[in-house]
Amino acid sequence: MNRRTAIKQLFIVAGGLMIASSCNGGGDSASIELRHVKLSADDEALIGDLVEAIIPKTDSPGAKDLNLHLFVMKMLDDCHSPEDQEAFINGLEQARKADLKTEVERLAYLQTLKEDVFFSILKKRTLQGYLNSEYVMKNKLVYELVPGRYDGAVKVIV
Amino acid sequence: MANLNIDSEKDRTYDAIVIGSGISGGWSAKELCERGLKTLVLERGRDVKHIKDYPTTNMYPWEFEHRNELPYQVKQENPIVSKCYAFHEDAAHFFVKDKEHPYIQDKPFDWIRGYQVGGKSLLWARQTQRWSDFDFEGPARDGFAVDWPIRYADLKSWYDHVERFAGIAGDRDGLPELPDGEFLPGYPLNVVEKYFKQSIEGKYPGRKVISARCAHISQPQPIHIQQGRTQCQNRTLCQRGCPFGGYFSSNSSTLPWAAKTGKMTLRPDSVVHSILYDEGKGRAIGVKVIDRNTKEEIEFYARIIFVNAAAINTNLILLNSTSNRFPNGLGNDSETLGKYVAFHNYNARVYAEYEGLLDFKTEGRNPAGGGYIPRFRNLHEQETDYLRGYAAGFGAWRSESADQSGLGKDLKTSLLNPKLGNWGVGSHMMGETIPKAESYVALDKDKKDDWGVPLLKISIDYDENDHKMKKDYLDTMEEMFKVAGFSNIRRDEAWQAPGLDIHEMGGVRMGHDAKTSVLNKWNQMHAVPNVFVTDGACMTSTSTQNPSLTYMAFSARSVDYAVSEMKKGNL
Repeated sequence: MNRRTAIKQLFIVAGGLMIASSCNGGGDSASIELRHVKLSADDEALIGDLVEAIIPKTDSPGAKDLNLHLFVMKMLDDCHSPEDQEAFINGLEQARKADLKTEVERLAYLQTLKEDVFFSILKKRTLQGYLNSEYVMKNKLVYELVPGRYDGAVKVIV
Repeated sequence: MANLNIDSEKDRTYDAIVIGSGISGGWSAKELCERGLKTLVLERGRDVKHIKDYPTTNMYPWEFEHRNELPYQVKQENPIVSKCYAFHEDAAHFFVKDKEHPYIQDKPFDWIRGYQVGGKSLLWARQTQRWSDFDFEGPARDGFAVDWPIRYADLKSWYDHVERFAGIAGDRDGLPELPDGEFLPGYPLNVVEKYFKQSIEGKYPGRKVISARCAHISQPQPIHIQQGRTQCQNRTLCQRGCPFGGYFSSNSSTLPWAAKTGKMTLRPDSVVHSILYDEGKGRAIGVKVIDRNTKEEIEFYARIIFVNAAAINTNLILLNSTSNRFPNGLGNDSETLGKYVAFHNYNARVYAEYEGLLDFKTEGRNPAGGGYIPRFRNLHEQETDYLRGYAAGFGAWRSESADQSGLGKDLKTSLLNPKLGNWGVGSHMMGETIPKAESYVALDKDKKDDWGVPLLKISIDYDENDHKMKKDYLDTMEEMFKVAGFSNIRRDEAWQAPGLDIHEMGGVRMGHDAKTSVLNKWNQMHAVPNVFVTDGACMTSTSTQNPSLTYMAFSARSVDYAVSEMKKGNL
């Protein structure tokens, strides 16, 4: 599945992301429409690598498969203060300068950040996107839209 | 060429007008239409049709653009409504945004509103506890406000009536302070809620923990099926509107029922400016409406008028209905209109953990929300240094959680394998507040809204009684939690402004005496007998119960009285 197809599918499924108009004509801006922050295609790729380091692909999809980098960008754009956005962009710049080549390097780099605003936004939004993804909610930690029951004393099977 | 008939006075004349389509207006409309009255229901907001206009009702979490969070800009622009627990991406379209409808806070007051057909009945917390004489006798016994002109016996059959139709789940607990009703099966307490009940009831005679009674169809009866409603499916996504009609709202229940009679005309987008009073006739003759969209001014006429605009907006409309006879607001001979407004004190919570019963968990979701502790303080006699008391919610839950501290594969494994922790338990207070003359709403002298209606000034605050009650609640609940062996007890004293309880009441109070109240025992204006107020504005005192069920009963009872008076030729 190429990137264009993946994004189109996401658009259909999630409804929340608008494909950037520049996507049709190439260019170096991000593939989704952002209103408040400016992110390039390179930024998008870097965020993709970083979210993948947080939730890597194993025998189940990783962050990039689930387009969590696009979700992080969307949430950064819509749900954070200008101060947060600025701190995130700065943090992203630092990460770029660190010139991280492998997933091991990325993981090691992220582990040095901990209290950092950039890191806390990146991680919080990645986890939010992951735990609320269709994949996880249908296949792993199943969400019931219509439980149709309440049992207040279910024996726990140990 | 315009059809002149459409504009004729005759076509704008009805038997009855109901101002507002929320929980009480829906009931007024249903009861009027069932009695054959041609009824105009005016709603200031847009139309919301059951199911069809619940755009988010069947959405999964991942289908929300921001996974149910609201954008930063929306929160910045709406500091007031953003404080409401239900204002999220899934239901934001049912809330009034701060900027759209400004008001003036002389003192901090979070006024939470829902301007659409159905009003806040789409959004309410659906708790339905009856009042008893311990509540109605409060002001007379403790010497505040004025005596209620009714007692429980006056309202009992009307509680029965509205409960059967709305569908109320609850247990028959046999408590005089919280009378039993016409209940569908209650939602049982979970294992830890039951444990708390046993701990408390064994140690403290007079304190009870019961299953909260709520407006959910736990077992549909023919009357609910006839409404097109069916069993609650335990989604607890009620604020989106329910596709099953599992909880009671005007949209799912009373309004379609009223429409089926063929007697109801529902006119959304109709901002009521004022009630028209005819001095010659000595009665109200209709209402002046400003169309929300076109700003066109239209008058509608009727023999009787029910004001169900929601407590504070009912005050606003009446204050704005001035004439030579009533220069300070319709029916305001007593000079009490807009005053003695009160609310519920929700200003404290207590949380803890329970490390027992770890071989149990819960499954599914409980629409009742758990337990309810009826008021026990000062119930039979005055026993504290403050007046009245509080009811409390009590709930226990056990959820799975994951260690989110790591990164990479370990984090992923941890996220996908959450573990059951200790039980969480929590309680919140619902305290009675004392209505006072200095707690008031009034019209601003200069500023008007986009429809030419004066802006409302709200001046309501906590008092010493509230602070003492709050402290007692915190101490008492902490003690009860200790008795039950709960650990990690946290007192949450986070201050919230009056209003956020969304239980504002009063301003157009009922009473025996026209000199000290606006309404009589039938919710009828002492001075303008064809105007009735049956929403929260009529409340003489607040007691501790969630008030909507009582508004429903008042509406049905008052319509029955009004129509019988019309038939006798008295109205």
